[in-house]
Amino acid sequence: MYKTPEQQTLKSRALTLTHEIPISRTKTYWEGLKEGKVFATKCKKCGKVYYPPQVDCPRCLTSDIEWIQLFVGRLETFTQVYLKPQGFTQYEDNYIIAIVETKEGAKIMGWLEEKDIGVAKIGMLVKVSAKTMSDGFPIIILKPAV
Amino acid sequence: MKRVAIIGVGNSKFGVRSDVTYPELAFEAFKEALEDAGIAQEDIEMSVVGTVGNRLYDMYPAPLINEYIGLASKGPLRVEAACASGSAALFTAYDAIASERVETAIVIGVEKMCEVDTQTSTAIGGRGCYLWEFHMFGTSFASYYALFATAHMAKYKTTEEQLAKVAVKNHYYASKNPKAHFQKEITIETVLKSRVICWPLKLYDCCPISDGAAALILASGEKIKDLGVQDPVWIEAIGFGSDTGNLTRREDYTSLKSTKMASEMAYKIAKVKPEDVEVAEVHDCFTIAEIMAYEDLEFCKKGEGGKLIDEGQTWIGGKIPTNIDGGLKAKGHPLGATGCSMVYELTRQLRNESGNRQVPLKKYIALAHNVGMTGQYCYVTILRR
Repeated sequence: MYKTPEQQTLKSRALTLTHEIPISRTKTYWEGLKEGKVFATKCKKCGKVYYPPQVDCPRCLTSDIEWIQLFVGRLETFTQVYLKPQGFTQYEDNYIIAIVETKEGAKIMGWLEEKDIGVAKIGMLVKVSAKTMSDGFPIIILKPAV
Repeated sequence: MKRVAIIGVGNSKFGVRSDVTYPELAFEAFKEALEDAGIAQEDIEMSVVGTVGNRLYDMYPAPLINEYIGLASKGPLRVEAACASGSAALFTAYDAIASERVETAIVIGVEKMCEVDTQTSTAIGGRGCYLWEFHMFGTSFASYYALFATAHMAKYKTTEEQLAKVAVKNHYYASKNPKAHFQKEITIETVLKSRVICWPLKLYDCCPISDGAAALILASGEKIKDLGVQDPVWIEAIGFGSDTGNLTRREDYTSLKSTKMASEMAYKIAKVKPEDVEVAEVHDCFTIAEIMAYEDLEFCKKGEGGKLIDEGQTWIGGKIPTNIDGGLKAKGHPLGATGCSMVYELTRQLRNESGNRQVPLKKYIALAHNVGMTGQYCYVTILRR
């Protein structure tokens, strides 16, 4: 925190927040990431594809859904993050976040597996996969398809 | 619906306010608004506090603010709509008067952001959608708008120079606004040579992390007669819009649908056309956001926002002077305070009180555009005097 010498402050007691997020109903998605696969959900009644996957269709008020795997899509937009937020500063590279419209009908976010942003072009075809980082967190990886 | 007037406005100095706590900061704006209205605490029936509050050590700040300013028994709620919290609070107070629940109300927008370090603040801001975005991809607020900037530049050939011109304009006017966070003019070169935050957005494309407060006192058309208020600024309309929480569920990344919804609603209620607006405050948290706002509010055609700034049409003397107080970009963006600060500025413009930043007016119609997150919320307020 920026302050001038005459500005006095009092340090608060620290608050650490770590959550246990329920994933029982989206287990297929999180297990899929571990196997390198990315899944969306599809309502069996109306056929609407949901990503992020949701197991309840608000249009049909049904929970009768199926899981579909996403394989390939086109880059819709992207950015490269230089100022990283807390929780990501341990990664050396400036990561490229992209949004991809998949052929399976869902838009997803992921990291483009490239260090040079010059490679990223809107409309380029990318393959969708996933991997687990060395610190245990999963990540969706987008690779140029050519 | 009863007509609702703005009878008092106040705005603290924006910036890194390490000298004050958040109730002390709120007091600065409150005192100015109360003195501006020429009324006392007992004349106020209801207090609505707008704050995001997630960078505070207090989790329930509104009662402590109301207690500090002498309104402990008048504050039944705190309102949050991310960066549009100030407008959401105004909307709440406006409705309470328009629906005849109360005759007077105060809106207090406040945010203290600088008590935590920048990386913590960036992580809080980037948690627009934790589970499906932040957890895996380390999104930040700048990254969200950068995704829009990339798409807009590709589709409409908007350039980094055009984005820079928005920053140059807003820093110029901030340098004339003693309440603004930044007090220095910059050049296009300053912006283009500044370090990259999230490509293509650079440091000077981004608003600062600021502390600040703003307060608005509202009264019904009947009540202002009792109070002896003449020729006030009227709230003609507040339009609202919203959009998906997940950015991946948007149709496109070159405009904010919630801005279009909110402005269409506001224009219709106020019976005003975009070309009638003589001075505007738009949500320029990043330079690309101001370009998209020009287009989505119909100040120009879609895709011609870059051209509008090239032509200087959003400076004083142009077609639609915009962010004449420095905007979020250079006045600062203390989240909950922002929507109230926009209305503070426009109220003073409509009263011809803006001195060396005064926009010449004929119709006396002004518009405030306040976005929450990346278009997840939007409020458009039309004022007239």
